[in-house]
Amino acid sequence: MNAIGWGLAAATVLAGIGIFAAVATPDRVRAAATGVCTAGIGVCGVVAGVTALGGTGLRVSLPWLLPMAGVRLSVDGLAGLFLAVAGAVVAVAAVYGIGYLGGGHGPRGRGVQASLPLFAWALLLVPCADSISTFLVTWEMVALASLILVLAEHQHRPRVAEAGLWYAAMTHLGLVAILIGLMTFGAATGGESFDALRAGQLSPVTQGLIFVLVFAGFGSKAGLVPLHVWLPRAHPEAPSHVSMMLSAAMVNLGVYGVLRIGVDLLGGGPRWWWLLVLGTGAVSALYGILQAAVATDLKRLLAYSTVENMGLVFVGVGASGVFRTSGAPGLAALAMAAALLHVVNHAAFKALLFGAAGSVLRATGSRDLDALGGLRSRMPATTALFALGALGAAALPSGNGFVSEWLLLQSLVHAVPSGAVTTALVMPAAVAAVALTAGLSVATFVKAVGVGFFARPRSDAAANAGESPRLMVVMMGVLAVGCVGLAVAPAALGPALARVVNTTTPVLHGDVTVRLSGITSTLSPLLIVVAVLAAVSIIAAAARLASRGVRRRRAAALWDCGAGPPTARMEYTATSFAEPLQRVFDDVLAPETDVDVTPYAESRYIVERVRYHGRIPDRIEHQLYRPVMVAARIIGRGGRMLANGSVHRYLGYGYLGVVGLLVTLAVIQ
Amino acid sequence: MRRLLRKIRSTGRVAEPAVPAPDPVSVPGARALRGSVQLRHVDAGSCNGCEIEIGSVFGPVYDAERYGARLVASPRHADALLVTGPVTRNMAEPLRRTYEAVPEPRIVVAVGDCARDCGAFAGAYGVQGAVSDVVPVDMEIPGCPPHPEAIVAGLRGLTGR
Repeated sequence: MNAIGWGLAAATVLAGIGIFAAVATPDRVRAAATGVCTAGIGVCGVVAGVTALGGTGLRVSLPWLLPMAGVRLSVDGLAGLFLAVAGAVVAVAAVYGIGYLGGGHGPRGRGVQASLPLFAWALLLVPCADSISTFLVTWEMVALASLILVLAEHQHRPRVAEAGLWYAAMTHLGLVAILIGLMTFGAATGGESFDALRAGQLSPVTQGLIFVLVFAGFGSKAGLVPLHVWLPRAHPEAPSHVSMMLSAAMVNLGVYGVLRIGVDLLGGGPRWWWLLVLGTGAVSALYGILQAAVATDLKRLLAYSTVENMGLVFVGVGASGVFRTSGAPGLAALAMAAALLHVVNHAAFKALLFGAAGSVLRATGSRDLDALGGLRSRMPATTALFALGALGAAALPSGNGFVSEWLLLQSLVHAVPSGAVTTALVMPAAVAAVALTAGLSVATFVKAVGVGFFARPRSDAAANAGESPRLMVVMMGVLAVGCVGLAVAPAALGPALARVVNTTTPVLHGDVTVRLSGITSTLSPLLIVVAVLAAVSIIAAAARLASRGVRRRRAAALWDCGAGPPTARMEYTATSFAEPLQRVFDDVLAPETDVDVTPYAESRYIVERVRYHGRIPDRIEHQLYRPVMVAARIIGRGGRMLANGSVHRYLGYGYLGVVGLLVTLAVIQ
Repeated sequence: MRRLLRKIRSTGRVAEPAVPAPDPVSVPGARALRGSVQLRHVDAGSCNGCEIEIGSVFGPVYDAERYGARLVASPRHADALLVTGPVTRNMAEPLRRTYEAVPEPRIVVAVGDCARDCGAFAGAYGVQGAVSDVVPVDMEIPGCPPHPEAIVAGLRGLTGR
């Protein structure tokens, strides 16, 4: 048994201790006890993942653990990457959660606290699963544990229950799709372990069916449009440390699933699979960032940004598949490396951003950007950390998101027309989609930082905010260090990524090595950071020098047209900042506005009150899900007529059923 | 388009011929401006008679911009204030704030009789006083309303051109 085995075993023991601690310890120390255990699970995951990335593998079979199927675990490079990312996020989020729940904030009930280590443990086990049954059991454990965590604050806000309902329905529909796909796979190959699936010979139609089914399931977990609707509801409503785990670790499992089943087990497949993946990814990226740009709820904005980033990852995965099938293995490896690097980068900055958003929520009790503002002087550490995360999320140079998005663009731009018309047609469109996404994400995060943290407070809650507990700030600092490290020295991940890329591109013959030193030759992230810092300090020094010549200085009030100082209500809000964008993308967003004019009873020309109400509903949800829900309701109403409570009628149903069955059998035999 | 161009050609210049430049700058503070004076107009409660005359001063006929005087849109951009009307209660504080907003050295020109001594509105209930009661005045241009020539002459006293 190597370090991976010890790590996973220790994680299991810690999960047991954590669940016990959550149930047994008194209210005062419960959050701290489970938090420490959960953090320990995360650290174990990091150890196991890093060991696996170093080239060591693990294969364990525990036939006695689950009835009939047993448990099979295996850890390779691909699993190692997702293990390490999930472990790191879990470790930081758990310690952050101790601070977040301190001082009587947030949910600290037994059930919720017991779900935390269970969720963390299940997150680590999904990438390790090596058979269909193990995979499905761990997958469902993740879904159930996270559902309990999402519902944690349902007593305080009615919207939590609604979000939980959406999440439960969507995640289980996804599970059904994966279940049918994997069962078809297992039935067709006659095996249950991933080795048997890998060796199986399937017809292209069956393969295609399996891929579409599992892609739908994994896509809904990763929040791909149009199966994203649960994500912007559930992620914001969860307690913030859970949001970190959901958005930075759990959605990655969707990527992992597609890579494991589609690339590893099904062996690559034809080009249309990957065009489907690429197209869905591009649409998700654009739609996600557009909704984020017009969102006014800070955590909802971040959740839509998760949709966007997962979309970008799938653009990379899809492009890699397209390149592989059109005979450009080098580009395929580059696109895959970009996608995997973006998974790591996204986890780092999104965990940081959700942490900072949680810090704001804890201090002000509000997530509404329109009611925040002025937090820069009241919560300086949180503001600085949020800004750093936003720099990464906006994909600007010297942020960590830039490196992977730049790599992705490079791989798309260099798509040599290798005889394939589809590549020549699709890749420029993908470049445009990624570029537009990057541009909109700048606007989104300028809004989030500028409107949320700068200017003057627009509510009493924001005016009375204070800095969060030191534990939270320190943990966000750890994430910030991670972001800076990924931004300055992404080449350090090179060997590990190359190993993962080699395991995920089985169609490649020979050993393609992707080193991020390729980045260093044409673009040095470190030099960019140094150049940006130097430019800023030179401008600051020059401004200081220039102002030294001024002899007399007079302080004067801000010019306000003589009417008196502007109030905080006159500031730009998130809504007003995004209004031009909303106009530009009017056709896509379809905003709803409602003007309600109430005149006086005496005369309809004299207006007593004008109410303006504007909202931007999720259009896909409106147009795609509402008809389905209406249909389900109609069917349900029909079903109610069948079941009217009469015992005689139920007995009659049973009788008719048995008779029908016997008749059918008689006819068939 | 062609008709317009022909009209422009046939009309030619309509501006009044420039009379010789006045004595070098009459207001001491204006000398530092060296012939270029940016003006912010403040209506402190005028009947709009003076406004019509000021509008005509900067129109094509009197064209005060020839002499270096120019209207600007914010006191932050201005060297001088052009105040008209008696100062009403509502406008006293905004006038004071506008005066504060002008960078130094700043000049105040009271245009019209009302600005000088409240004119016909002296003692009215809504009137606080003349401009000089609220902010220090450097130059006065009499008249009710003052002729455009008088305003141009006053402004040329500032620019010295």
